[in-house]
Amino acid sequence: MSSIADTSRPTSRQARGLGTLRWSLRGMRRDLRAADVRALFVALALAVAASTMIGFFLDRLERGLERQAGQLLGGDLVLEQGRPFDDGLRQELVEAGFTLSDQVDLVSMISHADRFQPASLKVVDDVYPHYGVSHVDLGDGIEQLAQGPAAGEAWLGPRLMQLLEVQVGDQVQVGETQLSVAGVIEREADQSGGFGNFNPRLMMNLADLEATNLVQPGSRVEFEILAAGPPEALTRVEATLAELRRDGVEVRDVRSDRPQLGNALARAEQYLSLAGLAAVLLAGVAVAMATRRYVDRHLDTAALLRCFGATQRQLTRLFALQLLWLALAASVVGALLGLAGQAGLLWLLTAFLPLELPPPGPLPLLLGVLTALAVLAGFAGPTLLRLKRVSALKVLRRELDPLPASAWLVVAVASLVFGGLLWLYSGDPQLAFGLLAGGLVMLVVLWGLGALLLGGVVRLAAWLPQGGSKRQALRLGAQQLARRRGASLGQLLAFSVTFAAMAMIALVRGDLLTTWQDQLPEDTPNYFAINIQPGERDAFIDTLDDAVDERTTLYPMVRGRISAINNQTPRDAVPADARGDGSLRRELNLTWRETLPDGNRLVAGQWFDAGPALADGRVPISVEDGLAERLGLSLGDTMTFAIGSDEIVGELTSLRNLDWDSFRPNFFVIFPPEVLERYGHSYITAFHLDRERDDISRALVREFPGVSLLNVEAILGQVRELLTQVTRAVEFVLGFVLLAGISVLYAALTASRPTRAHESGLLRVFGAGDRLISRVQGAEFAILGFASGLMGALLAELAAAGIYLAWFDLAPRIHWGLWLTLPLGGALLIGVIGHALSRSVRRQTPMQSLGLLGEA
Amino acid sequence: MSDSLKTDASAILHARGLGKQVTSGDKPLTILSDLALDVFPGETLAILGASGAGKSTLLGLLAGLDEPTSGELTLFGDALSSLDEDGRAQLRAGRVGFVFQNFQLLPTLTALENVLLPLELSPLADSERRGRDWLTRVGLGERLSHLPKQLSGGEQQRVAVARAFVTDPQLVFADEPTGNLDPATGKRIIDLLFSLNREAGTTLVLVTHDHALARRCDRCLRLDDGRLEPLVLDEVEA
Repeated sequence: MSSIADTSRPTSRQARGLGTLRWSLRGMRRDLRAADVRALFVALALAVAASTMIGFFLDRLERGLERQAGQLLGGDLVLEQGRPFDDGLRQELVEAGFTLSDQVDLVSMISHADRFQPASLKVVDDVYPHYGVSHVDLGDGIEQLAQGPAAGEAWLGPRLMQLLEVQVGDQVQVGETQLSVAGVIEREADQSGGFGNFNPRLMMNLADLEATNLVQPGSRVEFEILAAGPPEALTRVEATLAELRRDGVEVRDVRSDRPQLGNALARAEQYLSLAGLAAVLLAGVAVAMATRRYVDRHLDTAALLRCFGATQRQLTRLFALQLLWLALAASVVGALLGLAGQAGLLWLLTAFLPLELPPPGPLPLLLGVLTALAVLAGFAGPTLLRLKRVSALKVLRRELDPLPASAWLVVAVASLVFGGLLWLYSGDPQLAFGLLAGGLVMLVVLWGLGALLLGGVVRLAAWLPQGGSKRQALRLGAQQLARRRGASLGQLLAFSVTFAAMAMIALVRGDLLTTWQDQLPEDTPNYFAINIQPGERDAFIDTLDDAVDERTTLYPMVRGRISAINNQTPRDAVPADARGDGSLRRELNLTWRETLPDGNRLVAGQWFDAGPALADGRVPISVEDGLAERLGLSLGDTMTFAIGSDEIVGELTSLRNLDWDSFRPNFFVIFPPEVLERYGHSYITAFHLDRERDDISRALVREFPGVSLLNVEAILGQVRELLTQVTRAVEFVLGFVLLAGISVLYAALTASRPTRAHESGLLRVFGAGDRLISRVQGAEFAILGFASGLMGALLAELAAAGIYLAWFDLAPRIHWGLWLTLPLGGALLIGVIGHALSRSVRRQTPMQSLGLLGEA
Repeated sequence: MSDSLKTDASAILHARGLGKQVTSGDKPLTILSDLALDVFPGETLAILGASGAGKSTLLGLLAGLDEPTSGELTLFGDALSSLDEDGRAQLRAGRVGFVFQNFQLLPTLTALENVLLPLELSPLADSERRGRDWLTRVGLGERLSHLPKQLSGGEQQRVAVARAFVTDPQLVFADEPTGNLDPATGKRIIDLLFSLNREAGTTLVLVTHDHALARRCDRCLRLDDGRLEPLVLDEVEA
């Protein structure tokens, strides 16, 4: 006979490689029968599902928010200046892919019969509005209209209707022309044109503007281009926009002008990212546990293959490929789950998000697959290397197992990979490194604590008086845990981290929701009263206080324009891209206060009463930190305000952070008392009125016709609705993290099954009955669960505190309930799941269970 | 057949001064010392020895599964001392078959998959047909898709025998192949092993403590106190 090496055997490397490929595929298919491979599969699929779901969702949410911002702005890009735009710019915008709409805003006197009233005119063309609809009453109830008034017609705000005493169908005088009142505006499609000057609204067609003859040299007119187009169009004109800003054009776009709902949503986004990472970490722990069992089970295969002539390289290739197939299959399943999950999340948020969201992009999918591979490499890699080191001699001497991978090496590699993922997801290396370092320190502490706890449990069990099968089961259970010290400690750590991650995500959720609820309590102001004159101030306040329980402080308001910054013209003093900033182009509402207003937080400098006295007639002022940042101002800089014909120089002595979501009057600039009093001023306040108490608002309007009441119920409702929906999304994701946690339990308990089978087989040989074995196992799991819960509570508290301080800007607090629920819940959860999973083990005969160790 | 320890360049396995020492506690423990052995193509050789005599250690050394602490060993003309573990594995691939006392079948693989395992390392176009043929030859043609746990001990060992021969090896090592079987089943397995060996013209090295089994070999050696000594047929019968 001849060696087959010389005959039909293909020797080319390529053929051999293909063979390994097919072999690994077959092997993985066969392996799917094994519990550990199923656990690996589930864990990887969950990791991919979590990361793709959250990735897809955030990606689409981001784009959805841009769309919404566009709706509020009136376009994806809005340009505004005091003179008409030239055609060259229009041409460029159209070529970049925008559709344009022209708008002119001005304030003018409107009259009807003998009534005169200044109004804020919004002059729109036939393209208006780009997005959304206006709610207008044309005489037959409110209609939703995707257009502006026709030529010759005007739509008026309800207050203007009331002040002019006109009805639909009447004529009003606008400049030199007459327009027919065609509708009452309940809600405008956008917020372009602003309501900063608090004059009541009149909307008319651009075709009628010339006939009014209102646009004259020197008149205060704002020309706007509202442009709608895809994100690429915005990118294309970036350079032009920068130039326009330098020229003093006010440029607003969907990227820089997000809706002010932002704060709650930003936290929700952070929460989702955090939860996604927690799910990935848990899946990683599950992968690490399942891999141990996978490797144990394949040691014989590896030894046999070594015996039959496999090189280390071939073995590495084979097992790596097998797991790669597994990871890819899990990625596909995980990605599908992720897609379904994000659809679920979107469904929960439908009322808030516009319906036509762009389809999910491919990037989150790639990230998901990358996550699966990284988790596999990081959490399974070092353990898998053990297979490569198997000696062929193991086929003759079974006890010759390669040394298990060092626990420290496993942890180190897993941490490195997880740190990389943290970096990738957060884009913040410092945060990733901080979390990682903190996590590792905690792990060492937990390791020591776990060892102490295990020792304590055993000693405690030994103390138990003899007698009684329950006590006997408890003692035996504790002893078994202690005997497998290394494995028990590993499980204790894995379960602690699992419980901690689950608890932390639940804690953060709870605290976020509480914060949100606190932020907008039931009696959040839903009305603003503006333009309260000093003469009617006391009467108005008395009437208001009789009618409502609570109102915010009454703030005086003086209108002033920034005329200089550090003695230079503002244009020259601010950064180039801030030259068109709205604060420089419009009058600001200035107020004076003795104390820091509620909801304001001092972030730099000192409040007036604590600050140093200033010389040269300069007065100290406090400025909102966002405005200061935009205009490039810092403490010590001066701002000159033109108020009427006077100029007042203020020096920045403090910067304030405002909660713009608070529905209270907020001010960019605050003066100390006794500076602005001598100028013409009015007052503003906000209060809450139940929906059914419309009579009060009507009475106020009747009694104080000069006071403007602004109803913000609709906006408030929108924010509340958003919070409710985000809450649901947060809960949905929490469910996902819990699922990932259970996959860890499943993987860990599956991994320890053969050992438990061996132990229960031995107990049975020595005469233990079903009942005792069942109780011993139950006790062992319950003790493990209790101890893990205790350590998990500690870890969760520390992690939550860290996250609150670093990410959410919330004050950390101790959650006492956690210290009770986590140990008890842990004992119950691990006890029940472990006991159930060991059922098949208990059913085996001693022969089977004793033979099981080291085999399938 | 009693002229043992021939030295001949035609030997496919050639060992001189072979020794194995391990450290037990602080003391060195000599398991094998100064062994000399030649195995020639086509012959059947039995290595007899009492339990604990070091038979399996010797088999491990001869097959290149383990490294000796002293001496020289040549397999298929290659000095094993010049090869690392991967090199030794490659030397075995497709040319050495094994039959183990505890069968060493993988429990999650069917009978056919177990037989095909050595062929997976360097697949042939007709691997699967070959596997089926060998299982048919050992009388398990109808049980290709059975898992080991669905087969009796004797049947499992037949699968192992088919697996040892499926690559058309030049040399088959058998470690106590009947050790886990009852005498009647053991005899049937031995009959099968020898008849297949004869048909394929393979060289067979058998490690056993079963004298009846050893008798059927062309040549017998006894491993005693770490040394190999020739054994004549009469002694075996004694």
